[in-house]
Amino acid sequence: MQTLIALRGIRKEYPTPAGRFMALDGIDLDIPAGELVALVGRSGSGKSTLLNVLGGIDRPSGGEVLVRGEAIHSLSESRLSRWRGRTVGIVFQFFQLLPSLTAAENVMLPMDFAGRGSGGERRARALALLAELGIADQADKLPATLSGGQQQRVAVARALANDPAIVLADEPTGNLDSRSARDLIALLGDVVRDGRTVIVATHDRAALAHASRTVSLIDGRIETANG
Amino acid sequence: MASPRWLKVARDASRHKGRTLLAVLALATGLTGTGALLDTWSLVRRATAETYLASLPVSATLRVDRLDDATLAEIRASPRVAAAHVRRVASASLVAGTGETPALLFAPETFDADDMARLSLASGRWPRDGEVAIEGSSLELSRAAMGERIRVRAGMGEAAPLEVVGVAHDVSVAPGWMDHVVYGFVTAGTLQRLGTGAQEIQFRVRDAAPTRDGVRAVADDVRGIVERHGARVLAVNVPVPNQHVHAAQMDSLLFTQGGFAVLALVACALLVVNLMAALLAGQSREIAVMKSLGASPRQLLGMYLAFAAALGLAASAIALPLAAAIARPYATLKGQMLNFPVDGFAIPAWAFALQAIAGILLPIAATAFTVRRACRASVAQSLRDGAAGGDRLVTSRLAIPGVGRPLMLSLNNAFRRRGRLALTLATLAAGGAVFVAAHNLRASVVESVDAMFSGFRQDFLLRLAQPRPAAQLEAIVRATGGIALAEAWTAASANAPRGGVPGDNFTVLGLPVPSGLMSPRLAAGRRLAPGDERALVATRALAANDARFEPGAEVTLEINGAEAGWKVVGLIEGLGQPIAYAPREALGRARGDPGAALVVAAVSPADRGNALGIVLRTREALEAEGLRVATSALAAEVRRALEDHLLLVVQFLGALGWVMLAVGGMGLASTLGLAVLERTREIGVMRAIGAPHRSIVGMLQAESLVIGLIAWAIALAASIPASLALGEAFGAVMFPIPMHLAPDLAGSLQWLAAVVGISVAACAGPSLRALRIPAARALAA
Repeated sequence: MQTLIALRGIRKEYPTPAGRFMALDGIDLDIPAGELVALVGRSGSGKSTLLNVLGGIDRPSGGEVLVRGEAIHSLSESRLSRWRGRTVGIVFQFFQLLPSLTAAENVMLPMDFAGRGSGGERRARALALLAELGIADQADKLPATLSGGQQQRVAVARALANDPAIVLADEPTGNLDSRSARDLIALLGDVVRDGRTVIVATHDRAALAHASRTVSLIDGRIETANG
Repeated sequence: MASPRWLKVARDASRHKGRTLLAVLALATGLTGTGALLDTWSLVRRATAETYLASLPVSATLRVDRLDDATLAEIRASPRVAAAHVRRVASASLVAGTGETPALLFAPETFDADDMARLSLASGRWPRDGEVAIEGSSLELSRAAMGERIRVRAGMGEAAPLEVVGVAHDVSVAPGWMDHVVYGFVTAGTLQRLGTGAQEIQFRVRDAAPTRDGVRAVADDVRGIVERHGARVLAVNVPVPNQHVHAAQMDSLLFTQGGFAVLALVACALLVVNLMAALLAGQSREIAVMKSLGASPRQLLGMYLAFAAALGLAASAIALPLAAAIARPYATLKGQMLNFPVDGFAIPAWAFALQAIAGILLPIAATAFTVRRACRASVAQSLRDGAAGGDRLVTSRLAIPGVGRPLMLSLNNAFRRRGRLALTLATLAAGGAVFVAAHNLRASVVESVDAMFSGFRQDFLLRLAQPRPAAQLEAIVRATGGIALAEAWTAASANAPRGGVPGDNFTVLGLPVPSGLMSPRLAAGRRLAPGDERALVATRALAANDARFEPGAEVTLEINGAEAGWKVVGLIEGLGQPIAYAPREALGRARGDPGAALVVAAVSPADRGNALGIVLRTREALEAEGLRVATSALAAEVRRALEDHLLLVVQFLGALGWVMLAVGGMGLASTLGLAVLERTREIGVMRAIGAPHRSIVGMLQAESLVIGLIAWAIALAASIPASLALGEAFGAVMFPIPMHLAPDLAGSLQWLAAVVGISVAACAGPSLRALRIPAARALAA
């Protein structure tokens, strides 16, 4: 299968008052298109950092991040933002919906930044995505009035708004009850079936069961990569 | 359909109503202060140009002993003279009951001259013989009304009744209420009947933008013409061309006040920076999320700068009309001080445009750096900061031996966000510096007026219609009850010619040496001493007009047509008029008349409260001896009038100080509010481990007080250069002598009390909010 993402010798260091902390230490990884990859490991093992580097929301201290052959790590902040808007959808553990915008408006926001379609077209797509995820009736509600599961569905809809090739999810079930977590994992499976690549950092066994590949991290290094 | 990002901007503004309103209010406050000054200045400037210059002001005035038609015709034919007119002028007094008010009567060649010194009628008509039109600015002082008869005494004559038939307006004179002089317009016939009136030639030069030296040269030509016709020029007066007598004062005054208003605006801008930093600190996670969704730094900058611009627009919408509403009465007051009406003039569009542009750009500029930094921060870092509730890693802390842990915690908290602390301190300290400097200026004004009057021991002055022997006058006055000391002084008009060109005329006063009533503070040189012959002590104002009047210099003076050399032996501060003091007998010899026409006296301490009664008694005593008193003046009134005008200006700065106090308070409140917001979790931890409410409130209170006290100390330090600069600027234009800069302890203590009050009040809201949050929620934040 064709490689979508290639990581070469990725290092990520953080300066701390106690000294340097190595979050990622020489990661080499190829991720083909159309897979659901699970990143697993203990807290502090580097899962979230790796996800951030993959999504271009953090820059590695060393090494290369190539997506479809494009060197993401060397893009300027502006180009990286545009690239992210077009290529990546992100689902956070704490949903990170903007509290002053309704569910539909949250979904419309990435399209707005990417300059995609007219205002009417954006709303139509947002409503379609929310309907697809079973929460069309919540479209005009503010996030604070939605349950955790509903908020995470809105977050998934927002991640899919610009039809990205890659969806990154950082502990997406960490803040959900078991039923909502199960539904979400199923949803992510559907996303993969639509031809997208989903990379999820998780402890959730159900998510691991759906994953086509599991990458296990210990202290910033890849211990095993199965699948 | 509105784009979600703009919906977010609008809803965030509405979600943080308090902070948004505070920012708008802060900006509006600063804009109102500066806008009011700008509007006032623009109104006064426009009124000056359109009223004063339109009156075609006189370029120079020559006082002559006589004048004929041939002389006037030759002056008018002079190529550098655009227009020339003759007028008669007389010093007089309005007699009402037992009191008299100084007056100046003008009898112009014509009342409706169109080519120079245009006069206008506010009401009534121009006077005929036996009638008078009073200049509007002195109408109140005259206590006269249209149709009434006033009694006017001039020269040796009896007081004559004159009917008030009009209210005139002459923009060239300083306001009568300000100078305590009633200006009246009469016919030459009326002055003749009153038995007085000096003759003057006034002319306007053809040059549209003349220099003072240029006008002096033309005045010298005119003097030559007068003298060729056998007449004598007694005095020449060349004012600064095309400038109202008070214009320089007004400009400088507005400039000084404008400087303070700009300082207020800067303090407001600092507050806006603080508030925007507070807003953005709460938004850092959302900014990171938007970036992760593909928002570019430019798009984010656009969002937040548009928000800042909207704040500016809202503030401008409040400030512009408010500034205009303040400017109108203030400009009217300034107009009254310049003696021309400002009513009817519209604030120019450029002034509004400038304020609106400043109002919008200021918050953009104030927030650009903070917004840019927030928008450029790494997404991962912003998400981490946001998740940690904005807490910063504390890697070092203050430790002062002997200071208890809770207070130490407050001190460390105050210094935790140094950038924000610096902004808060700058806002509060700028407010304090203006407040304290305004108080210092007030104290300096009072002290300077004290210094000006310190050597002038006289309580009143009487001017006689005719000179009499000094010994006779002194004997009569000393015999009057309640007089501690009396001296008869002589007076002469003099000028110091330079290269054959006469200088401006000034008064030389002849005093007994030594004088018991006149020993003002020496600025340089020495006082007059017994045995001095042609010796002079000059006032600073005279030395400022003519640099030759420095101690040790020999100056040629022309007095009554005779030139003689005089030696300047000393320099005194004086009361702002160009005057020289000389030995009485020497001056009598120089003017060819030893007689004295001025009587100055000090009232005995027991009779201080009845100075006016003693003046009247003294007048009666003199008049009983056949000596007519032309005018009288009480020193206390002169002083009060001077102080009132100066303190009016200082009060404006005082008001600005209170505005700054409000702005500083808002700054502190916003900083504390933000500090509590950021430390919600920390406060939750403290409550979870059993900290009582009073400990938490006390800690926040101590933090607030620490900031307030540091700001107070900085304000005190900053007020020193501010007071010096303000005193210099104010003194240079408003005072005839160098200002005596005096620190005002009361102002510093008031500011301290205000800062403590603000600290307590600013802390109250955030403390209550912190205590209302349940510990569990605070820990989850």
